[in-house]
Amino acid sequence: MSFITTGIMANLITPERIGVTGLSMLWLLPLSLSIAVVYKATKVKEIRAVNFIRESVVLFGSIVVFMAVIALALFALAWLVT
Amino acid sequence: MPPRSKDTNLVLLLSVALLGWLIPGAGHFLIKERARGIIIFVAIVLTFAIGLYIGSVAVVNPVTGKIAYAAQIMNSPFVAVIGRITIDNHYEVFGKPNEIGQIYTSIAGLLNLLCIVNAVYLAHLRKTQPAGA
Repeated sequence: MSFITTGIMANLITPERIGVTGLSMLWLLPLSLSIAVVYKATKVKEIRAVNFIRESVVLFGSIVVFMAVIALALFALAWLVT
Repeated sequence: MPPRSKDTNLVLLLSVALLGWLIPGAGHFLIKERARGIIIFVAIVLTFAIGLYIGSVAVVNPVTGKIAYAAQIMNSPFVAVIGRITIDNHYEVFGKPNEIGQIYTSIAGLLNLLCIVNAVYLAHLRKTQPAGA
């Protein structure tokens, strides 16, 4: 038990190593999922498992696709300018 | 008597808001929206926990990260305890873990603010609209 507690405490006072790489962008995925789930939890009239999951997934997909499109547009703009 | 009913309504709305701030999702639980409450609790606590896991408790810093702290405190007043621990023990974090950790914990707080407003709105609608409307 104390081993688990020590492990949790160690994780909470030691930051993760995250490099300045493209892979670090993947951290946006859990955040986008959380935003989609909480937003839909406040918006849907009645919480039904299938309907709620479908709506959350659609919103999550929309966020990810829209951000990817913006990233590509900004990348193209930077490529044209430089 | 209408004034008494208005007072009762105000007390309910304040209770919903306060409970929703103390424990994410508890405001919805109070107005019998249990499924919503559980979903909100799990999502917000997980988001906040991921932020702490990435950047450590040092991402909650009321001195060097004032703007983020204003959003983080919306998670729960208990976040102030984490801020106190960070300051007392001089915990620090820099670079990407700090950025990502702050973004996660701040957005968790802002999402909880959205949920508090939603719970208060739902409680108000139930009090003002007749049953079945």
